[in-house]
Amino acid sequence: MEKKTPVVKKARVGKKAPVALLGYSLETMEAAKEHHIPFVAVVPEGFDIALKEDGVDVVTWDFYVHNQNSDRLYEKLVERGVSHAVPLYEETVEWAGSLNTRLLKDPRAFQRALLFRDKAMMKRNAQMNGIRVGVFEEIRSRDEALAFFDDINEARLRLQEEAPEPVHLKPLSAAGSVGHVFVRSRQDITSLPDDAFPCLAESHLAGQEFSVEAFIHKGKIEFMNITEYVHLGYSQIVPETPKLSKQRPKIRKAIEKLMKAFGIVNGMIHPEYFLDHEGELHFGEVAARVPGGHIFELIQRAHGFNPYAALLLCSDPNTSKTVLDRFFPKEKDHKVFAANLMVYPRKASVHQLQFPKELEAHPYMDRHTMFEPVTAKVAERVGFGNHYGTVFLAGEDPETLRELVQRYEEYDFYE
Amino acid sequence: MSDSPEGSLQPESTTATARQEQALLQALEALEQATAFAKAKYQPEVVRRATDLFETDEGLQLVRKQAHRFDSAGVFHAGPWEHPDRLLPALVGGGLRAEGQYSSLEMLSELRVLAIAAGDSAHPKFSAEEALTFLREVMGLNLDLLYGSETEESRLRPKVYARARRILAMIEQEVSSEGLLEQVLDDIDARVAQRPIDVSLTLKMIEQAKNIQGGPDPKLAARLDRYLKATGPPTPLAKKADSPTNYRNLLANASPHEIENEAKVVGKLLTLTGLSSEYHVAFLQHVLKNDETEILAIALDLTEVGQAHMEQYRDKVLELMRLTIHPATSWIIYGFQQMLERMLLARPEVADGLTKLLNLDLCPTAQQVTKKHLPRGSGISANAAIVGGAIAMLGQPLGVGQGNNPTCQGARALSLWSLHDPGYLLQLLTSAARDDTVEFLFEGSPILSGDIGGGVADGKFDLKLDPVSRILVPHLDRIYDEKMKRAALRGEDPHKWVNPALYGRWVATSLASITMINQTVSGYEDFLRLFYATHHPLYDGGHDLVYPNPVGLLITNVHGVFLGYHAVSIQRVAEDEEKNIRVYFFNPNNEGRQNWGRGVEPTVVGHWEIPGESSLPFEHFAAHIYAFHYNQMEVGDVKAVPAEILAEVTTHAKEGWGKAFTWL
Repeated sequence: MEKKTPVVKKARVGKKAPVALLGYSLETMEAAKEHHIPFVAVVPEGFDIALKEDGVDVVTWDFYVHNQNSDRLYEKLVERGVSHAVPLYEETVEWAGSLNTRLLKDPRAFQRALLFRDKAMMKRNAQMNGIRVGVFEEIRSRDEALAFFDDINEARLRLQEEAPEPVHLKPLSAAGSVGHVFVRSRQDITSLPDDAFPCLAESHLAGQEFSVEAFIHKGKIEFMNITEYVHLGYSQIVPETPKLSKQRPKIRKAIEKLMKAFGIVNGMIHPEYFLDHEGELHFGEVAARVPGGHIFELIQRAHGFNPYAALLLCSDPNTSKTVLDRFFPKEKDHKVFAANLMVYPRKASVHQLQFPKELEAHPYMDRHTMFEPVTAKVAERVGFGNHYGTVFLAGEDPETLRELVQRYEEYDFYE
Repeated sequence: MSDSPEGSLQPESTTATARQEQALLQALEALEQATAFAKAKYQPEVVRRATDLFETDEGLQLVRKQAHRFDSAGVFHAGPWEHPDRLLPALVGGGLRAEGQYSSLEMLSELRVLAIAAGDSAHPKFSAEEALTFLREVMGLNLDLLYGSETEESRLRPKVYARARRILAMIEQEVSSEGLLEQVLDDIDARVAQRPIDVSLTLKMIEQAKNIQGGPDPKLAARLDRYLKATGPPTPLAKKADSPTNYRNLLANASPHEIENEAKVVGKLLTLTGLSSEYHVAFLQHVLKNDETEILAIALDLTEVGQAHMEQYRDKVLELMRLTIHPATSWIIYGFQQMLERMLLARPEVADGLTKLLNLDLCPTAQQVTKKHLPRGSGISANAAIVGGAIAMLGQPLGVGQGNNPTCQGARALSLWSLHDPGYLLQLLTSAARDDTVEFLFEGSPILSGDIGGGVADGKFDLKLDPVSRILVPHLDRIYDEKMKRAALRGEDPHKWVNPALYGRWVATSLASITMINQTVSGYEDFLRLFYATHHPLYDGGHDLVYPNPVGLLITNVHGVFLGYHAVSIQRVAEDEEKNIRVYFFNPNNEGRQNWGRGVEPTVVGHWEIPGESSLPFEHFAAHIYAFHYNQMEVGDVKAVPAEILAEVTTHAKEGWGKAFTWL
């Protein structure tokens, strides 16, 4: 195929300093190009070749190595006149922090990034700022995990014959639900591998779980999306349905409190909360990167703006108010609700895809991403990352959507 | 629910197809509009939507209509299917059976090639003519998808197979199967010419070639007929019998004259094709009943030498034949004939070795791998099957193949021993089959294969191999790997020590190899000079090669791009029919026909190759070799090699695999 002329260099005519995009995200690069934002893609080795051939300015970097050469990334970016860095994946958050400390002359940017990367630090900071969190502890060993489990159950006055109060164990620094273990018994802890420790242990929060994607510029929330989890890790609806929507003012306040606590001025945050039966908000955790679970695709479908572009615009301290006002629609103006269902095979071995005809023909059906299974043997789940495919739905009635995703969660898409 | 009349289903499925087509068009449009680097974001949706349509003939037609847009839209942008001129027909069959989105991508690629062949779209580097050739080759290589019946695998994944059959049917319809039979017969000819021991693939192709429709070209029909006779009923009598058992019954009542005629036919077919059938087995069994060695000699088409050998060792031959020639192992007849021609039973170590194998207590591993590949209830013992395999290997030293395993070392070794030390081969086989271990010495210390793990194949073997390889190769692979470990870190290519220690005393102990440290080539001219002075008859001072020389080649693809290292054995260097000097070599990958780009195409027939040999003009071979053994006392005149020849070879090497290296 004929190669198009390099597009990025053209866009740089306006002499705007490029932004460094940390991590390989075609969506973000595409959004940057569409909004004439010059950029340098910082990607792991192997991702660079095709991009270079297509005329993208690329720097390769191994985000997993931290040593005295880490400075080289800053130098490479400065050579290119980069203004600031935007993290796109969990592993690049502290890199963006360290780069922005120097690029934006923001002395606390790096430490702030670490708050997002260390879940215990994150919770401690939230707690000190008066944000309601569960009981949590940093756990170094199996014995400490067992002790934590016992303490929680003692405090809950659980009797021997009752089912114990569950707790959660999660790695201190991993994206979302990667490595998350839901502990329902002491046995669950004793059967864990040795490398599960150290980790963070926390009490279980019950209630409606949801996440917020808040686009923030100059300390003000420009747009707040709420993603309602129908079933954590399986299905979600954007924006929230009417029952949760009533809590918007309360949620907005909570986000403002969180922004203050974490010193967030520009960019996007993706915190998770539980709304308990008494209507109280409990803070789960917060990330400062593109959320998983295809949430950005749902936002685009429901609200009609490109969240990747929103992330870039809000991350740039120099974006003007007019640009932002023109960019973001009104939160209440969405025409449809968008939902998705992540599909995990429900059997130990699968042979072929069997997509239900009635769902395919449903007016709310947008598209799905499933192919014939790659291996017959089904892999164990890690976090909520390795689903086989996603079904995207959209429609005007949120209850129909909820009913659809709940129904097909029980469906065997693979035979 | 009652059977719904077709009419009521029709509108629904039509709207579904229309909806799917609309979705494909949208996805394609989005991809077309995407900027180059973001194509990858939009490709999956195109592939996904096309996959829906692939489920019906009508849907496939709809995708076909858009195929002229695929290249320009970027369906294959920055992926393995991007350049149609680099597509390999041999990979299509695997691609169509692949999992995930890959089988769909493969189909889209074929549709794109169809569009180019039909002139719907054009490609600067891939003409309509080339597209047609490609598609014809794809058909020839996928006859099973065109005409074959269901298999275990296809029953398990009906959708993937239905799709694959659908696209091949479309190719057949658009390209027409005209010329397909000829192409398939050419392919069978070339396979047969190499006389492999394992003929399962050839048999499959012959079986499917029957189904190719085409003009009744009498010449082609005759060519096919020969193969059908060699692998099925060979004579009118056999045809009338309709089954090998009936054939035997009819033979019992046949006149001596008729018997002799039948013998002539099966014998000739055997020599012409190297193939045989259960009818051939039935015939031999009939003759064996009365020990008629004269008829046997005709039925095996033996030369006078072979016949004399058979008469001399009559009892042994008859005993071995009775035990090993069996419907389940009909393919060994050619090997049996060749073993007799090689007069191997005159060597006591071979005759005794085979007898020993017949009475061996087999270890469970050998039992298992042997039995697993015999039809259930076939009534042949594992011992007899192994002896049959050994006979085939002794008869066809150049028919050994590595199959789908990275074990060219093992295959080369078996071939060499079969040629030059058949007794040793049988001894190793005995040890592996009985003790599940073989012992080798490395620089004085013993290595027992049963005690070690490792191996290049890491213990994972595709056992579609001949019976001897199945048992021995896993052991040889571990031994080779262990020796390589022990000889590593000596600052020189470990093969210098490992090859003589593995293959035996036939391998000269000096090793010349190109210095390629840090991907940098140095001293190439000296290396080439030495190769000419040790291997080329004009410069080697009369020290022509006697034993196979295990050498290393740098392999390039059709476009001359460096692929990797491969091991072959030089069998001999000699003049061909045009008095050009050629290197004749054994390629253990069982497919000597190769194309290494830029005019380097090893041939298997037509240049005086012995069946199983590949050959290349000397200078082409020289331009691909990177390591060879030689005897320091047998080096010709290094200085006599003309500089122009060396310069030419060097240029060729530099422009081929050499591009992947820095040159000093």
